[in-house]
Amino acid sequence: MNRMFKFDCVGYLIFALIVLVLMPAMVGFGGYELNTYSRYLALGMVAAAVALSWGQAGILNLGQALTFGIGAYFTAMHLKLKASASLAGGLPDFMGWTNVEALPWFWVPFHSLAFTLAAIILVPAALAGLLGAFMFRGRITGVFVAIITLSLMLAVQLWIISEQGWTGGENGLTGLAPLSIFGFSLDPYTVAFYYLTAGLLLFVLGLALVIVKSKAGLVLRAIRENPERVRFFGYDVSRYETIVFAVSASMSGLAGMIYCLVLEFASPTYMGLSLSLAMVIWAAVGGRESVIAAALGGIAVNMAEGKLSDLFFDQWTLMLGVIFIAVVLFLPRGIFGLIDQLRLRFHERGSREQRVDAEPLSPPKTTEQEG
Amino acid sequence: MGVFLNELFIGLSLASILLMVALGLAIIYGSMGVINLAHGQFVMLGAYGAWLLQDALGLSLLLAIPIVFLAVGLIGIVIERAVVHRLYHRPLDTILATWGIGIVIEQVVRLLLSSDARYVARPGFLDSGFDLAGAYIASYRLFVVVFALGMFAATWYVMFRTEFGMRLRAMVQNVEISRCYGISARRIYALTFAYGAGLAGIAGALVSPLVSVTPTMGNSFVVDAFLVVIVGGVGSLLGAGTSALMLGEATAWLSFLFNETTGRILILLAVVVFIRFRPEGMFPAKVRG
Repeated sequence: MNRMFKFDCVGYLIFALIVLVLMPAMVGFGGYELNTYSRYLALGMVAAAVALSWGQAGILNLGQALTFGIGAYFTAMHLKLKASASLAGGLPDFMGWTNVEALPWFWVPFHSLAFTLAAIILVPAALAGLLGAFMFRGRITGVFVAIITLSLMLAVQLWIISEQGWTGGENGLTGLAPLSIFGFSLDPYTVAFYYLTAGLLLFVLGLALVIVKSKAGLVLRAIRENPERVRFFGYDVSRYETIVFAVSASMSGLAGMIYCLVLEFASPTYMGLSLSLAMVIWAAVGGRESVIAAALGGIAVNMAEGKLSDLFFDQWTLMLGVIFIAVVLFLPRGIFGLIDQLRLRFHERGSREQRVDAEPLSPPKTTEQEG
Repeated sequence: MGVFLNELFIGLSLASILLMVALGLAIIYGSMGVINLAHGQFVMLGAYGAWLLQDALGLSLLLAIPIVFLAVGLIGIVIERAVVHRLYHRPLDTILATWGIGIVIEQVVRLLLSSDARYVARPGFLDSGFDLAGAYIASYRLFVVVFALGMFAATWYVMFRTEFGMRLRAMVQNVEISRCYGISARRIYALTFAYGAGLAGIAGALVSPLVSVTPTMGNSFVVDAFLVVIVGGVGSLLGAGTSALMLGEATAWLSFLFNETTGRILILLAVVVFIRFRPEGMFPAKVRG
């Protein structure tokens, strides 16, 4: 345990160095290039959110992009209202095109920045809390959780696309004003903005690590392995599941906010099927057991995607697909698992006991070795 | 009366397409617990197969069907042997791996045949339609309904009246004991996966005259097919048929009453609530424990 804690701290420090020093240095601290890197950090945050619920508690949420999209849309609504202040009635331009007379009631509070920031964190949490209570009290697990979260996400995405007059429809929300906090205007193409993003990411990951290291984290991992047994010990399993589900949703809401600030628009594709599945893949590539590794996975895969798509315009998606398949087949624990194996080999000389709990019991294989 | 029959028939037509797409998925998921997210891409391959045979060889759609079935089935065997069979003890990981396979298939098609939409012609004698008590019945859609029922019957026959089906059902009950009786699990699984993929291919070929054929067309099918399988109950053919009919008719009627988007949203929400209270589906498969 002690050694594990040391390992996590070292991992966190290395991650902080990568994000704060190495990545900016790679582009010579140029604000323009760092804009792209801020985008990677936002996606890394959402991958960490996936890992928190999936890697710790075994809750596979295929609708993670829903809360991500909500965070992005809330941010965009606030900035759109700011940009539309000079227009007739303060109505955003697209509402005028579709003959919307007055600002819809759910847009009104987004005039306030404080409300917007609170909503980005709390609405995803409340939504996930309700959905979590709905699902986990019925002891819904595994595939069914995946299908339910996916279906809900698609329903919301459909609604957003269809309500052109209220949400901007297929085009999303574009033409946003820059965000200003305490009179400072945030320009996403600056070094300062990158460091703000990095600070947020490190803070959120620190919180996630605290959860993982706490007793609650231990209970969650126990639930992942055997929920029935945890129930016998007298724990309220559904409550733990709901809470981690909600925390994960808040994280992706915040990530959605950063993503919207970086790209300066919000679009229904943020809640799309392919992005949502991609988030899960990033977490799998980095390593679902560790939020830090998952965040690195999100950053690394998207960085590779950015580089590859420049080099091989057409073939990169193909390569990405092949890499995903290879990772799932040969690195079921992701890159983190690989490092963990190496670490154990390194410590083998020190202690023999470490090995016993390190090698997970694999279930009996059913399809190999023909009789 | 005419309007009523019209909607009924549209629902039936949607249901038949859903059933064709979901059948293969139901078999793969029901027998091996593999969640095949590449299923939509198998449908897309079938549609492209029909287009290729028509475009290059001038084959009628009806003649293309058996060829497409075998070709997509063969691709299914390759995929099962290369990737899927390594994941049978990790069901949730099959989601990720098969999604990766789907990306690869889609991209290969895009590189080879470009992203342009392709169009497949209906067989000439099914071009028209006729009036039935004030409702317009398109011949081709009626043909698809009949064909879907035929596929359903054939699948039922394979599962319950053949040696292969018996072996598969034995393996669903208990893999270890089936192997003790000399059933080759490897072969049966590979063939099952191929059969499911082949059915998806046929579905794609039959849908191709009704939609534009594009590399991304598969994505619209996979979610709906999954909903059909889950609502029906895992491993239950009867359930898949019933839930396809229900979802198809519900889509038609809700789209008629509200509009298409609202209809889809309501169905998604209804399915969510249904799964919450009956995760085992309408007709859960009876497996002796």
